[in-house]
Amino acid sequence: MKTNNATNANRVGSFFFQYAIYFVLVFLVLGITAIDPSFWSINSLHDILLQSSTRAIIALGAAFVLITGGVDLSAGRMVGFAAVLSASMLQIQEYSHRFYPGLPDLPLWVPVLIAIFVGLLVGLINGVIVSRFSVPPFIATLGSMVAVLGLNSLYFDMKPNQSQPIGGLRPDFTSTLGSGYIGSGVYSIPYIVIIALLVAGLVWVIFNKTILGKSMYAIGGNIQAAIVSGINVKRVLLYVYAAAGALYGLAGVMEAARTGGATSSYGNMYELDAIAACVVGGVSTAGGIGTVPGVLVGVLIFGVINYGLTYIGVSPYWQLIIKGLIIIVAVAFDIRKYLTKK
Amino acid sequence: MKKLFPVVIVGAMLFLAGCGASSSPAPSSSSGTPSASEKQPTIGVAIYKFDDTFMTGVRNAISTAAQGKATVDIVDGQNSQPTQNDKIDLFLNKKVNALAINPVDLTAAGVIIDKAKAANTPVVFFNREPMASDMQKWDKVYYVGAKAEESGIMQGQILVDYWKAHPEMDKNKDGTMDVVILTGEPGHPDAIARTKFSVQAIQDAGIKVNILAQDTAMWDRSKAQDKMAAFLGAQGEKIEAVLGNNDDMALGAIEALKAKGYFANNKFMPVVGVDATAPGLQALKDGTLLGTVLNDAKNQGTATLNLAVALSKGLTPSKDNAGYEITDGKYVWVPYKKILKANMADAQ
Repeated sequence: MKTNNATNANRVGSFFFQYAIYFVLVFLVLGITAIDPSFWSINSLHDILLQSSTRAIIALGAAFVLITGGVDLSAGRMVGFAAVLSASMLQIQEYSHRFYPGLPDLPLWVPVLIAIFVGLLVGLINGVIVSRFSVPPFIATLGSMVAVLGLNSLYFDMKPNQSQPIGGLRPDFTSTLGSGYIGSGVYSIPYIVIIALLVAGLVWVIFNKTILGKSMYAIGGNIQAAIVSGINVKRVLLYVYAAAGALYGLAGVMEAARTGGATSSYGNMYELDAIAACVVGGVSTAGGIGTVPGVLVGVLIFGVINYGLTYIGVSPYWQLIIKGLIIIVAVAFDIRKYLTKK
Repeated sequence: MKKLFPVVIVGAMLFLAGCGASSSPAPSSSSGTPSASEKQPTIGVAIYKFDDTFMTGVRNAISTAAQGKATVDIVDGQNSQPTQNDKIDLFLNKKVNALAINPVDLTAAGVIIDKAKAANTPVVFFNREPMASDMQKWDKVYYVGAKAEESGIMQGQILVDYWKAHPEMDKNKDGTMDVVILTGEPGHPDAIARTKFSVQAIQDAGIKVNILAQDTAMWDRSKAQDKMAAFLGAQGEKIEAVLGNNDDMALGAIEALKAKGYFANNKFMPVVGVDATAPGLQALKDGTLLGTVLNDAKNQGTATLNLAVALSKGLTPSKDNAGYEITDGKYVWVPYKKILKANMADAQ
């Protein structure tokens, strides 16, 4: 009986640590609702999911790399490049400043696939640099981040566009990958939320049910052990960076569709938002640890902060401070989870 | 592996340095025929950052205006004053005939003027107005720009005109215009002036203004869309008008409004922006954007170049040799223009 109390406290404690980030999310929602009860609505949920969809896809891409013990700084700029690429080929005919004045209406999937493919290609290059030339991921992706911005700026500055924002996007594009939804009114689900959920499902399968997934965790946990146990580390890294790049490409296309436009500054610093969402969601920057639901909760926490704090009129400066504190506190709690295990 | 690491780091740095260096001269355009370029003055042009939509318009106007008149060397300040100062030093080293500077930070103008004066190279500042005390430091310092408050006043006037013509805009019939405002970067002089004077212009017309919500979207379309969605969630039908400090943010707000069923089935929201960008004009045409204000990139660029050319020839700029009225001996004020669907052609 005496020991029971202690173990109970222990259990409560470990339960709390295990699900700390979920508590942070609940606490945030309840806190904002306490200040303004009208926040508690299907509309708010709808908006937060909508705003979190592209971010979730970028964060899932970042999670691929983080789990192998790497980091990908090129994410944001690749999102920007994919946004500009897809938007430049999907303008309505009567738009006065078309990127390609004579271009006929392409089938929707062509520019979308081109943008995703370019993302995949840049990811593949990242993978080659990291795995074949043993360049640390931080440096390799720092280089590609800068180079991709340059490439995007060159493309965006081409005549006749000359760095003007790309607008007048085709309604079929902005609806399918942006504002369109299934259902009606409050009981509707936007297509991009469905796309994000499908991607999350696919990534979950890769992480949990495939050899590639198991190998990723093994490499992140202990690369020497992974090599010794016969995992083809180079090939796995190549796949991982390429998959991440393709996801950034998809996210960029969706960002262009959602906002109905694109400029070369799109995606600036998204990589840091993605990494923050991952670590808040329990992905270890040391590699080997991380789950898809965790990443999604991490993204949702930031979605709730962005939407909810603006909803109740918190100053943008305070929003930054609160974001910073949540990153630090969430990770500090999360790390205890693994420390206590050891 | 460990021995390779330093090599890799150095390699990466060289690569980065290469990128940084190549990014600046690449877009710089030399105009005029090579044979004539020796006689033509060289103008060093520094833009605060290349990926700013409006400044790109000014940059293109400068290049166009320079054809046959001057060789222009245009560099990117990458939104960092130290970077821009390094490039100005480079210009002075290369002995350009005049400088045209769009400062990153307007308080840095004093230092730039000191440098230019020491090298006896005239300076034309543009788009970001240095403080009057700095402008008085030397007689070969000029400024070309627009009066930021004018753009705010025009935004307000567009809403006032619409309010008077469409009484249904006052949804709750309380005689007060309930607005939300999407502002640019905090502390940016244009953002401050546009926010303040747009509201003031509505009040000056005898209409009370109630600001339901105001937040920064950093001039950014996608951020503005997210903020507007939150405003709509919190304020809903109470919102009667949207003021964006620029077109990109006004367009972001329009996307959020569309998602809530606006701009269909006779549900309208007056949204105004500034800049008259190509996507902004398209929105005017579509009937989603009510109005915008043209910040005249073409004339700002042309006036800047003309002044710099006159100065490089040792002339005192005047209406005769530069084509623009000089105010107070140092200033060229390029006026803004209200752009509505009816006069869209003025902005194209």
